[in-house]
This record gives sequence, C-alpha cells and structure tokens, in this order.
Amino acid sequence: MLLDSKIPEGRLEDKWRNYQLKAQLINPANKKKLRVIVVGAGLAGAGAAATLAELGYRVDCFCYQDSARRAHSVAAQGGVNAAKNYQHDGDSVYRMFYDTLKGGDFRSREANTYRLAELSAPLIDHFVQQGVPFAREYGGTLENRSFGGVQVQRTFYARGQTGQQLLLAAYSQLYKMIAAGKVTMHTRSEMMDLVLVDGKAKGIIVRDLVSGELKRFAADAVVLATGGYSRVFRLSTLAIGCNGSAIWKAHKKGACFAAPSFTQIHPTALPQSSEAQSKLTLMSESLRNDGRIWVPKTKGDQRTPGEIPEEERDYYLERRYPSFGNLAPRDIASRAAKERIDAGYGVGRLKNAVYLDFKDAIARFGLEVIKDRYGNLFNMYQKITGINAYKTPMLISPAAHFSMGGLWVDYELMTTIPGLYAVGECNFSDHGANRLGANSLLQASVDGYFILPNTINNYLAGAMQGSPDTNHPAFEEAEREVRNHVDRVLGIQGSKTVDHFHRELGRVMWQECAMSRNKKGLEKAIDQIEKIREEFWRDVSVTGGDKEMNTELEKALRLADFIELGILMCTDALQREESCGAHFREEYQTDDGEAFRKDEEYSYVSAWEYQKGDFVLHKEQLKFEFVQPTVRSYK
Amino acid sequence: MTTNPLFFRKTAIALTGLFLCLFLIVHLSANCILLLPKELAIPAYNSYSTLLRESPLIKIVAYLLYAAILLHVFYALLVTLRNRKAKPVRYAVNHAGENSSWASRNMGVLGTLILIFIVIHLANFWARIKLGLGEAVPSDPNGNLDVYSVTYELFQNAWFVAFYALMAIPLAWHLHHGLKSGFKTLGFYHQGGLRIIARISLIYAWIMGLGFGIIPIVVFFK
Amino acid sequence: MQVTFKIWRQNGPKDKGKFESYPVDDLTDDMSFLEALDHLNERLVVAGKQVIAFEYDCREGICGQCGIFINGRAHGPHDHMTTCQLHMRSFKDGDTIVVEPWRAASFPIIKDLVVDRSAFDRIIEKGAYISSQTGTAPEANAILIPKSVADKAMDAAACIGCGACVATCKNSSAALFTAAKINHLNRLPQGKAEQHTRVKEMTWQMNLEGFGSCTFTGACEVECPEGISISNIAELNARLLKSKISGS
Repeated sequence: MLLDSKIPEGRLEDKWRNYQLKAQLINPANKKKLRVIVVGAGLAGAGAAATLAELGYRVDCFCYQDSARRAHSVAAQGGVNAAKNYQHDGDSVYRMFYDTLKGGDFRSREANTYRLAELSAPLIDHFVQQGVPFAREYGGTLENRSFGGVQVQRTFYARGQTGQQLLLAAYSQLYKMIAAGKVTMHTRSEMMDLVLVDGKAKGIIVRDLVSGELKRFAADAVVLATGGYSRVFRLSTLAIGCNGSAIWKAHKKGACFAAPSFTQIHPTALPQSSEAQSKLTLMSESLRNDGRIWVPKTKGDQRTPGEIPEEERDYYLERRYPSFGNLAPRDIASRAAKERIDAGYGVGRLKNAVYLDFKDAIARFGLEVIKDRYGNLFNMYQKITGINAYKTPMLISPAAHFSMGGLWVDYELMTTIPGLYAVGECNFSDHGANRLGANSLLQASVDGYFILPNTINNYLAGAMQGSPDTNHPAFEEAEREVRNHVDRVLGIQGSKTVDHFHRELGRVMWQECAMSRNKKGLEKAIDQIEKIREEFWRDVSVTGGDKEMNTELEKALRLADFIELGILMCTDALQREESCGAHFREEYQTDDGEAFRKDEEYSYVSAWEYQKGDFVLHKEQLKFEFVQPTVRSYK
Repeated sequence: MTTNPLFFRKTAIALTGLFLCLFLIVHLSANCILLLPKELAIPAYNSYSTLLRESPLIKIVAYLLYAAILLHVFYALLVTLRNRKAKPVRYAVNHAGENSSWASRNMGVLGTLILIFIVIHLANFWARIKLGLGEAVPSDPNGNLDVYSVTYELFQNAWFVAFYALMAIPLAWHLHHGLKSGFKTLGFYHQGGLRIIARISLIYAWIMGLGFGIIPIVVFFK
Repeated sequence: MQVTFKIWRQNGPKDKGKFESYPVDDLTDDMSFLEALDHLNERLVVAGKQVIAFEYDCREGICGQCGIFINGRAHGPHDHMTTCQLHMRSFKDGDTIVVEPWRAASFPIIKDLVVDRSAFDRIIEKGAYISSQTGTAPEANAILIPKSVADKAMDAAACIGCGACVATCKNSSAALFTAAKINHLNRLPQGKAEQHTRVKEMTWQMNLEGFGSCTFTGACEVECPEGISISNIAELNARLLKSKISGS
C-alpha cells in the first residue's frame, strides 16, 4: 500500500491556502443531495456535524451518551492554545508550530502541524463569537496563561472548565442545526461496524442502546470523531464509555492504524486506591505551576509528609531538569515519577504516588492567592479523597490519558479507506509522539470546524453518482456479521465478568506498554493478551439479552475490541526500536536515562494494515523540509 | 405565542400576594388600636371602622382586595395542580429538609389554612357588620356602630382566641416565604438586594405573626 | 464495609417497578458510590442475574450523565456534588442506602435508574446558541467584555445539565437549568441580538415539556453540583418580562 499524505505544494505558510485554491467545490443545490455520517459528538464531531450542516450537507450524527453535551471533550480542564500573541511575548504561528513539532519529538508532519498552529487564532475568534466565556482581563481583553513545555503564554481558558465550555458551544451549534432540520441526532447509539461499497465508506451499522435494535445508515461519506482509546489501560483519565471500537472496526475494514502505541501518560492524576477503582481523575497540569513534586529520600519511608524534614525530601524533577523543573513536559514528568515509584520511593497507602506540595507556594503567595488560582481543583481533590490539600501535600500519580495514535489520515483527514475520515483524537495527525498541554481541544476543534468542512468536498464532488442505499448486500452482510458477533458474546455464558478481563488487560498494558517499554516485556505482553483474548471468548459472562438496554453487553463488545487493539499497540511498541516522546524503550536511552531517538531509522509514521488477524506495517517517511529535528532537551 | 402559564400564573400570585402584604400592614396598624386602654380604644376603633365603611375609596380598595384573594387562590390552585402533574411519582425517601425550608415546600398547605381562617374571620365580622347577618350590632355613644364590642365579645371566647392566635403562625410562615419569593418571581434578581429582601421578609413575617397573634390574647385579658 | 442497597428496579418505561434489597460486603471507604454499584453488578453477573442499569460517563463530576437519588437527596447526602464524586466514606458500616431514579414527568424512566433527559436538549434547541455560522466571527478582541460580565456569564455557563435541579424540585421545575443557559448567553454581548426570542422560545419549550413552575424552595441551588445560584431564575423572570415589554 502506498501512503500518500497529499501534502500540497509551496512554502509552509502557503500550503493550506494552496490546497483550498485547488480543492473541488460543490454547488449548494448539490450539497443538499449529499449525506454525511458523523460518529461522535464531542468537539470534533459536533463541530464537524454543525459546520457541514451549515454548508448544506444532510448530516446524521451519532453518540453513545444520552446527549451530545456529555462527550469527553467536556473534561479538559486546562485550556486551548492559540498563536494570537496577545501577550506580546514573541509568540507566532511559526513558534507554535515549532513547539508542537518539537513537543511531539519530530514524529508528525510539518504541514499538518503548521496548519494546526495557523488555524488556532481564527478558532478563538469562532468560540468567542459562539459565546464561550473565556477568562478576561479587567480591561475586557482575553487573558492567557502558560502551560507545560512552552515559554510563551498562549493558552486561553474558562476557569478549570475550558473543555466543557468549548463543548457546550459546539453542542449548542449542533442543536441549532438539529432544530433547523439539517442534522438528525442519534443519541444512545453505538456504531458497530463500517459498511464499504466498492471499497468506499458508504455507511454504518448502529446498535440502539435502548432497544438493542441494529440499524443501518447510508451516506456518501463517513466521519469518525470517536476520541481516544486510553481505556485500553482500563484505569485512565477518560470517561468510562470512551472506546476504540469504531476506529477498530474501520481498521479491520482496511483503514491503517498509525502509531497505536503513542499514548500519553499524564503526570498529575489521582493515584489508584483500590482494585475496584474505575477511573483516575486528572488534576490539571496547571497545578505544576506552583506545586513542587517530591518523594522521600529514604525508601519505604513510613512518616507522614509533614514529619519529613526538607533535607530528606527529593525534589526529583528540579534535581534532574533544573531549567524546566516541575514544568517539564508530560512524558518526562510521568517517566520520572514512575522511575521513583518503581525504585521503591513511592508514597501513599499503595506506595504508588508522589507528593505535589503547595507548602512553599502558600508561604510565598499566601493562602488566598493559591485558593484563587486552584480553589476548584483543591475542592475536587477533597471531594474525592477527603483530604485538605492546603494542609498536606496532594498525592498524585501518572495515568493513561491521551492517544496520539489513531487512524492514519492524509492532509485531508481521510483515512486509507476512500470516503472515511477521522477527526480529533481518533486520528494520528498533529501531535507526533507526545502532545503538548492545551493542544487537544485545539486539534479536535480545528479538525471539525475548519479542516474537514474544507476537504470533504474534494471527495464528495466525485461521489455524486447515485445515492447510497441500505438495501445493498454490503449492508446486509455487515449487519449479519454484527448480529453474529453479538450473539457469540452472549452465547459464551462463562463464569467471569467483563470487568475481570478488563482489569487483566489493563494490568498487562500498564505494566508493559505504558511509560517505559522493553522488548522482553512487550513480547510477553502480546502472549498474555492473546491468552486473555482466548479466555475472554471462552469464559466471559454477560447476563441479559441483546434486545434491551444492556450495559454489560456494551462493555463486553467494547472490551473485545480493546483486547485486539492492545495486541496492536504492543506490536507497534515492539517494532519501534528507539525512544521518542511518550514511547520510551528502555533499551534506547542515553547514559543519563533520557530518550534516545533514532532519526535515521525511525523518522516515519508507522501505519499498520489489518490482514486477516495479522498486522502489516507501512511506513510514511517524514520529510523535514523547513525544520531540522533536534534533540529535545528540558534540562 | 400565547402567554406562558409557568410564568404568568406565578406572576399573578406574586402581584396579588404583594398587594395583600400591603393590606396586612394597614390592617395590623389599625388593629393596634385594640391594644389601647378600653376608654381610648372604643371611640377610636369604632370611628375608624365607620370611616372604612363609608369611604368610597375604601370601597374600591375592598373590591380589589376580594379580587386579589380570589385570584391569589385561583392561580395558586392552578400552579399547584400543574406542579403535582409534573411530579407524578414521589420519592420513597426524601430528605427535602436538608435543602429547603418546610414553609417553602408547603405554601399550599399554609395557604389553605389561611383561607379557612379568612372564611371564619369574615363570618365573624364582615357577615355580621356588613351583611347584617346574626345578632344586630349596637351603636356606641358617638352614634358609630360598636364594632369594638363585636370584637370584644368574640375574644371573650377562649376557643376563638386560641384559633386566631394560632392561625397567626401559618400566616407568618406563608408571608416569610411568600414575600421574598414574590420579589424573585417579579424579576428582582440583584443578589445583594435579595439578601436584604430575605431579611425584610423575616422581620415582616415576625411582626405580622406576633401582631395578629397577640391582639386576641390582649383583648381576652382586658 | 458492608451496606444494603435498596434499589429501584424497573424493566422498561411501562413496567411498574419495585425496590429490591442487595446486601453488599467487601466495600472500602475510598470506593466511589458508583464503584460500589459496579461491584454489586459484578456479583449479579456471577450469580447469573441482570445487572442494574445506571448512568455515568466521565466519573469526574463534569459530564452530567450520572444522577441518582440517594437516601433522599439528589446525588446523595452532600451539597454541590455529583453522584460520581460521592464516596462510600460518606456512609456507615451497616447502613441501608435507598437508591431511586430521578423522578419527574418530563424525565421518563428508561430502565432501573436510567431516565430520559432529552427534554433538556429540546429546550436547548429552541435558542441556546448564537446563530452565526462557522467562519463568520470577528477578531476575538474586537468586542471587549468586562471581566465582571465574563465571570457572571461563566457562573451560569458552568451548568453540567445533570438534571438534579429537576429531580430535587418538588415541582419538577427546569427553571434553574433554563435560566442558567439563557443568562449565560444573554449576559454576553454576542448573545444580545437574539436575547428576547431566546428567552421566550426556551421558556415556552420548558412549558411544553411538562416541567412545573418555580416556587423558589431553593432546593435546586443546594443540589446543583456547580452551585448555580437561584437568583438566576429571578433574572430569567426579569428577562422574560423585558422580552414581553420589548414586544419582539
């Protein structure tokens, strides 16, 4: 398979304009005849669905939640980056592009990353116009703050609820188009399979989560906006319902999966406290602006944090990375925490955490200032743990967070299946091997609002012949396969719960395919996951039927896909014999324990093709025409 | 688009309610005459009630008052019925006391008690004085109808004293929630102002409750 | 830790439904309430029984999908908290915990503890947006918005749409939800152009959906996870009056 990234001609700053000039257009009368399916109603999905409908397409939008307002974009706390240079601190589109490319350890396309930075400023204009109450200065202008890994202030935010506010804006815009009759919304609906007709994406099979009924939907193009898949680790910062099933089904139907093992582990989540835990709550990265991270210098220290004197504390980030200190990028901070915890210096009941201490910040700025800055986060911490973090340090721990990997897409955000697009976190496009803070809301929005609506016409202009039909044999075939799959799961009637298998999968994935990986461990992990898969299909128990609301069945179907995805992630991690960004191979590190990147051999995007249960690697070479990759140093 | 019943009915209740609140101030102020020593109270009270009966202005106000009471009850009934329909199934366990006051949740109960009181109250005074039902009302030395004696006689009956005094309690409760809620219904939303209104409502409710509650007792012991 | 859950089971909208008791042990203090229900469900699966349907998604208090009436309070015994933020340490060993779905005519029960809150979405459809298309926005700093205005808009915008206000209100009034959305947009300059139609249309939809009238018991602002003030409803009343007077 030849991977054509379709990067337009010209200088970096001209590429997007050149693309738009050459892209085909569709006249408004014809747009009305074209149907587009959008799966997912988060920032990317709702933004795309609303904007496509505004342009005149007929849109069907699907989400598994009870309302589009619940999608997990809602949970992003920190903010959204934009190269507005409002702070007059030397920011520019180019600098933002460079920061993002460097933050991703030079494993993404220059052209895509540049476009992300280029479209960031109009995105802020858009959201302000849609009524997002961003933080303001007293004079009425927009306020900014800084975020990990960069040295300018370019993050726009709405308290600790930026994701919520952006999502609500997108959701409102979507419901405006629903009211206008241009979008049909299907809530409590889960995509079960993709339907291809003559090799092109022409529809989906959906399970109605209330009635259990399977339904067919046909369209001229299908857009996946289904978010990240870090629930493969079971414990993650994601919503419980987040899943990789839609992209996995697309992958099995021929869409290449790029860089599946690139998953970001966030350094400041709340630690796991029991086996029954279902979720690791994220504490905003902004806490690292004032909090200091430390562990005791003595292994297995049993004293309370207050009893440990200053000289017996190891502020390991400040020690290892003096210039960035506690503000080192996420992958580095997470790995450093893991290193200390694995070495036996962890704190907390399960010895799986490190301290995030505000004692010095409170002493320096006063309690009121800290309350003003982080009050809602401290309240949240107290609600969950019952601990007052103004008096005693927070316990934090790394947690699986963002999926940089996803379906391989070209410059138009089209996957390797014609007519199938992937937008937002579910694609692999802009973040490379590590995502910078406050870039995820940005990418989801820019993909959905600005890029896809400008690229999809280039495909649809050639898809005008004949409207799709759900009576086509391909739909019957796909529906039959889905029905068999569901029946198979329900027919096992084994003895173990879905959660049991998910915990098993999560344990293996977290141990071998998270912050640091090695050949032996990954090979073992693949074996173990194969065993889990075998046992799952032999011994899982799902009660209830398929013609009703059955939350256990939903979980089982998602887990079946996660298990297979887990194998691909380990396969990818095993194949990439270098360390870059979030992908840290223990065999490839420098003498002082930093990542050792091998640009000559691995400067490519790994795109995996599914072939009857095997994964075949295709390489998209990354060409750096405008920037020379450098070693990422935060020391 | 027609008028939104969710808001129109509440606005009607608030407007009539606030009007009735004003009336109560006048009513209580006048009734305070009853607290004076007998020799001062009799002429003052009787001439005041003659004034009320004969003034054409008061006549208009009286009709407004009747209308306000009827409308207040009518719309409260509509709102209550609608609200019950909106919550057809109640919770098996509901600790509503932890998030709201009893009075605010039981304005209908309190209102019904007050309505019963009003009916009896009108039967005691209005029916006898204005409609001439029952025993004829004598005149005082100044030629005014001796309304004072009607009041005095009534409040020599301990049952009536107890009834009147006790009914001041639901009245006060109803007024406390009703007054502050009425302002919000009419769109007064300034947060600081609402705090002041809440305090005024409390003081107002205490004054009305104590005032109307004490008078029958004082008269009883005269 | 051991507790007995007394849970409302209802197999579909037309089923009559009833309480069933489930003693559960092996719980710990730091388990969340929803994790305790997960734990119970796993036991039910092993016993070959149907699991209890309940809603959740983010489990960090922001998506608004969870919502259960627990021991007589919306989202459980604490003020300003979602169900997913409730932890078992709030209960005592040996407690019986009564678990009911949201009750309101406008929130029909789908199954067990799951209710249909799509009435909220239909209220949103009637005008909780600014009708400008993608691509038409002016430069973000072209319209200055004083910090106090932006902050007040944000106070209202924080609503997570969980429905606790309706659930706890004895009248099942959706006034706090609707007011929060209207005030968020109407406080901002961008929302002014459509302010009057927004108020009228959204409140009318609230009426059509069968919600009750607000009688200011104040329960909603106590149960609201975001602590949205009831003065928002008073402000809504003022805005509705203003829209009537303006006649547009």
